[in-house]
Order: sequence, then structure tokens, then C-alpha cells
Amino acid sequence: MNTPVIATRKLVKEFVRANFHILALHEIDISIEAGAFFTLMGPSGSGKSTLLHLIAAMDRPTRGEIRVLGEDLRALSNRAIAQWRNRHIGFIFQSFNLIPVLSALENVELPLKLTDLSHRERWEHALTALELVGLADHADHLPGQLSGGQEQRVAIARAIVTDPDIILADEPTGNLDAEAAQEVLMLLSRLNREFGKTIVMVTHDPHAASYATEVRHLEKGELKAASSETP
Amino acid sequence: MVRYASLIAANALRNRRRSALTVASIAISLCLLAVLGAAYLALFGEPEASPAEALRLMTHHKVSITQPMPVSFEARIRQIPGVADAMVWQWFGGTYKDARDPRNFFARFAVEPARLFGIRSELRIPAGHRARFQQERTGCIAGRKLAARFAWKPGDRVTLLGDIFPVTLELTIAGIYDDPNNDEILYFNYEYLRELLKAEDAGPDQVGVFIVQVKSLDAVIPVADAIDKEFENSTAPTETVTERAWQLSFLSFLGNLKLFLSSICGALGFTVLLVCANTISMAVRERIREVGIMKTLGFRPGTLVALTIAESTCLALAGGAIGLGLAEILCVMVQSSGTAYAALNLRITAEVALASCAAAVALGVGSSALPAWQASRMNILDALRHTG
Ligand SMILES: Nc1ncnc2c1ncn2[C@@H]1O[C@H](COP(=O)(O)OP(=O)(O)O)[C@@H](O)[C@H]1O
Ligand SMILES: [Mg+2]
Repeated sequence: MNTPVIATRKLVKEFVRANFHILALHEIDISIEAGAFFTLMGPSGSGKSTLLHLIAAMDRPTRGEIRVLGEDLRALSNRAIAQWRNRHIGFIFQSFNLIPVLSALENVELPLKLTDLSHRERWEHALTALELVGLADHADHLPGQLSGGQEQRVAIARAIVTDPDIILADEPTGNLDAEAAQEVLMLLSRLNREFGKTIVMVTHDPHAASYATEVRHLEKGELKAASSETP
Repeated sequence: MVRYASLIAANALRNRRRSALTVASIAISLCLLAVLGAAYLALFGEPEASPAEALRLMTHHKVSITQPMPVSFEARIRQIPGVADAMVWQWFGGTYKDARDPRNFFARFAVEPARLFGIRSELRIPAGHRARFQQERTGCIAGRKLAARFAWKPGDRVTLLGDIFPVTLELTIAGIYDDPNNDEILYFNYEYLRELLKAEDAGPDQVGVFIVQVKSLDAVIPVADAIDKEFENSTAPTETVTERAWQLSFLSFLGNLKLFLSSICGALGFTVLLVCANTISMAVRERIREVGIMKTLGFRPGTLVALTIAESTCLALAGGAIGLGLAEILCVMVQSSGTAYAALNLRITAEVALASCAAAVALGVGSSALPAWQASRMNILDALRHTG
């Protein structure tokens, strides 16, 4: 089939501190193809977030190979990585992480400030993204004036506004009630199916995993063999 | 940076009360700084020494200016290479009219009318007045401001009662002169003083100060040294200084004031810098998590630093603008107060305004650069985990 958009080989991440040493990821080999909805499950502390951070180049691996969108992340400078992430990765956090003093629209527009788009174009793109998540009528609201579900949808709009190839979501429904979680999952599923975005989602929720094209489990930093949960 | 204007504004107004307090403290400090700066300029911002002034030296007794020197020194000074001319410059204390009224105080110097206008070439005087001064032994000339104070005109009589010297001068105004540097001096003929003293049998001819004109600028220092060397082993060793240094030595209390003013300005500037730095670090610390978010979105550390610096500079400039406005109001109030301070002519000049703006910018940058840089250097994940 196609070449994978995310591929790791013997990927290791250790956290070495003065008084402890943690092997967060141990020789991870994964291969995620374009258009996949890849779900990572596993107990807390098993290294799920760490893996997402490495894929997003928010952190550097200790050892091993990691290629994302054909790019050898270890070879990129910090400066190049920032730009690369802005262009190719949309990241969704469990705790939304919107900027509290900016309106929904301004939050969504924020990543576009790093592009060459004009003010008007940025504004239109941001509004389009907000429309897609069904919040165009909340464009002027500050995060504090939105519900958790709405905040997460704004965060999704922000993650997709630069039209990235990959969306990484770290427990995106973890702070939401069932209904809001459902909305967020449907949205991600739609981004995957209609817009062809590759999605890697960390979740604890078996129901959330049901949207996935592939589910893998991490335990104590090791990736378990592919299970039968894959639909 | 323009595209970040709304973000900078949103951040600056994030904690309105804190921002308002910061702006207010900057405004008050910069208002004080501007007023002190205006006072400093009013007191010390005089023009540089004029070319004529730069060529003049004052020779006095090494021990103190109250110790006299033989008048014969004058001829010896004139012999020294590089000296263009030299003349007696004798302070005559005395009193005019009622000494209890300070308005009656002014400087009176015994000089040599034939040399005065060559040595103090900046003096402007009608030819007739000058001729009369040089011919009449009891003639004197008064600066325009001084003459205006007493409504003197040529032909008026001025009587000065001596105190240092046991004589009474009966002078006649021979003319009025203009001098851009000092037109509140009365000059009279040293010969006249000498005759009166001779009549009193007041001892040998002695003089307090000689004023020396040097031929060229580069000869000023060597000539000063040569004069002092000439009299090194005489009965009256001398000390020769430039006219400017001479004048400043009388203003030594102003010298202290200068130091005082600059220390206050420095302390004030430093204090407000600390206050701002504290506020900004607090603001930055509260936003470390957002640094992580922005970095995740692809913002580079340099941009984040610039955003923080821009924010604090905006606050500082706002404070600076308000402070300058307050300072201007204060100055106008002082000027129109009718008190003695009005004489200072306090003004917020373009110079002061510019310096204040520069101080505000320095404050904005200085207070935020370090905290901004530290925050921007944080690892994304550490920043995101930060709870504050
Ligand atoms: N920055 C870090 N410094 C030290 N240890 C860390 C750091 N990030 C994660 N860890 C450790 O690595 C392990 C995996 O963490 P994480 O990837 O966050 O797990 P999960 O997301 O699966 O709950 C945990 O033991 C955690 O304590
Ligand atoms: Mg996690």
C-alpha cells in the first residue's frame, strides 16, 4: 500500500532526571498510513502522550528512528521543526488549551499568523474552520464563555485551520461529558473520512475507539501486538 | 508585529488592574524624571564655553582667592609665551545703598578699561560709551540687565561703600554694555581704586585675581602651567584655572546638586525598573502554559520574546506619555506660580520629552527582556505542564 505517513523504528524515549530514570517508550515500531484513524489505548503512564509528543516533534526521541510525512524529525533544527509543526500537525489537548484572552475566532486564527496570509484571508479561513465545527455563531465568545464541548470544538478548529496532514489528539474527550464527547468524536471521524486527515488519538474510552480504523495498546512503554479490536 | 497588535493588546489588558497600576507607577516616575530632567537642564544645560571664554584663564593665589598677589605679576604674566594679554580682575565687595535689600547686591570688578574689551571680546558697547569709560577715571559701565534693575543711564552717579577696601567709590555711569554670558556686572577702573588706596596709605599694590587671555586654544593648558611655574617660588605662588572652571568653583553647591539630581534620577529609574520587572515576571509566569501552547502551534521563541517585550513597552510608553503630560502641567504650574522657582524657567523641552520616551522604552525592554527570554526558552512539554 501507500508509504506510511508516520513510521517509527525501535523508538526509545527515556526521561533521565537527577533522582530517577524512566523508560517511557521502549523500542516502538509503528507504521500509520495516510487516512488512518489510529487509536492508542493503555493505562495511565504507559507512554501514550509521550508517543504523540514525539510524532508532533514537541520532544526529541532518545534513540531510534521516526519519520513523519517522509521527514526525518531527528534531522530538523528547532527552528525548522516549529515551522514544520505549524504546517503539518494539528494538536488537540485534553484540556483544550485555548488562549483565555482571545475570542474563539482569534484563537482559531492564531496559527495562521505564522503564514503569509493576509488579515482578511486569515479571518476567512478561521471562520470557515469555526463553521466546520458548528461554532461560527460563537466567533466573538471568549473561551470562558463557552462550554467544555464548545471549547474543544474551537480547539479542533484551531488544529485544522492550517489544513494540516495529521491531527494528533491526546484524550480529546477526557474532560467532556458523554454528549460533548460524542460530538467531538463525530467531528474527528468526519475530518478523517471527508477530509482525509490522518488522525492519531489517545483515549481511555472504548467507545471512542470504535471510530478508529486501527486500535493499538501501549503498556509500560511497549506497544502490544495488533489486536482483534481492529474493525 | 502589526499582525500581533490585537494579541499584544489583549495580553496587556489581561489583568486590567495590574496594568493600570503599572502604567500609573511608570507615569508618576517618568513625570518626576522629566521634571528633574527639566530642572537639570535649566541649571546645567548652559551653552558650551564661548570661543572667547575658552581662551581665558584666571590666576589667583594658590592658598585662596582672598590672598592677594603683587600687581607686578601682571607684567610678568604678559611676558609668558602664548599669553595675548592680561589684566587685573579685582573683586570689590562693598555695598550699594541699603545692603539689607538683596536686590542691591551685584558683582563689581575693578578692571583696566584699555584692556577689558580686548580680553572680554563678547562685550558689546557703543563706541561713545566705551571711549568715555576709557577716558574718565571714575567712569564705570553696567550690564544692560543691571542697569535696567536700577534704571541707570549714562551720567548717573553710583556710590559704593567699601568693606574689604577702606574706600568709597564715587562712580559715574559711562555706558551700558551687553554681554550674552553675564550682563549683571559693574566694571570700573582699577586705577581709580589704586589712587584711593594710595591716599589711604593702605600698603603696597596688591591684587586678588588676574584675568589672562591666551593666544590659541591649544596653548591654554601650557600657559596655565607656565604661569604657575613662573610664580612657584615667589612670595605668592599662583593657581591658574580656566574661566569656566573658575565660575563653576563658585557654583560648587550646584555641583553637589548635580550629583544629587542625577542620583535621584538614577535611583528613581532603577526603582521603577524593578517594579516593572517584578510585574512583568509575574505576568509572564502566569502565562508559561500559553508559551507551551503557542510553541505547539509553531511559534518560535524569538517571536514570543518579541511579543512580551512589545507588550511591556506599550505599557511603559503609555505610562511615559501620561507622565510627560503630568510633567508639562507641573512645569506650567511652576512657571505661573509667581514664586522664585519660576526663574528656573522649567520647561519640558523636546530634549526632555525624547529622553523620557527613551527611558520608557528602556524600561519596557529592560523589565521584560529577561523574564520573556527565560519563558521562551522553556521546553514545550514543561511549559504545557506548568500550572500557574
Ligand atoms: N517530561 C517528563 N519528565 C519525566 N518523566 C516524564 C515526562 N513525561 C512523561 N514522563 C513519564 O513517562 C511515563 C509516560 O508518561 P505519559 O506518556 O505521559 O503517559 P500516558 O500519556 O500514557 O499517561 C510516565 O511514567 C511519566 O511519569
Ligand atoms: Mg497522557
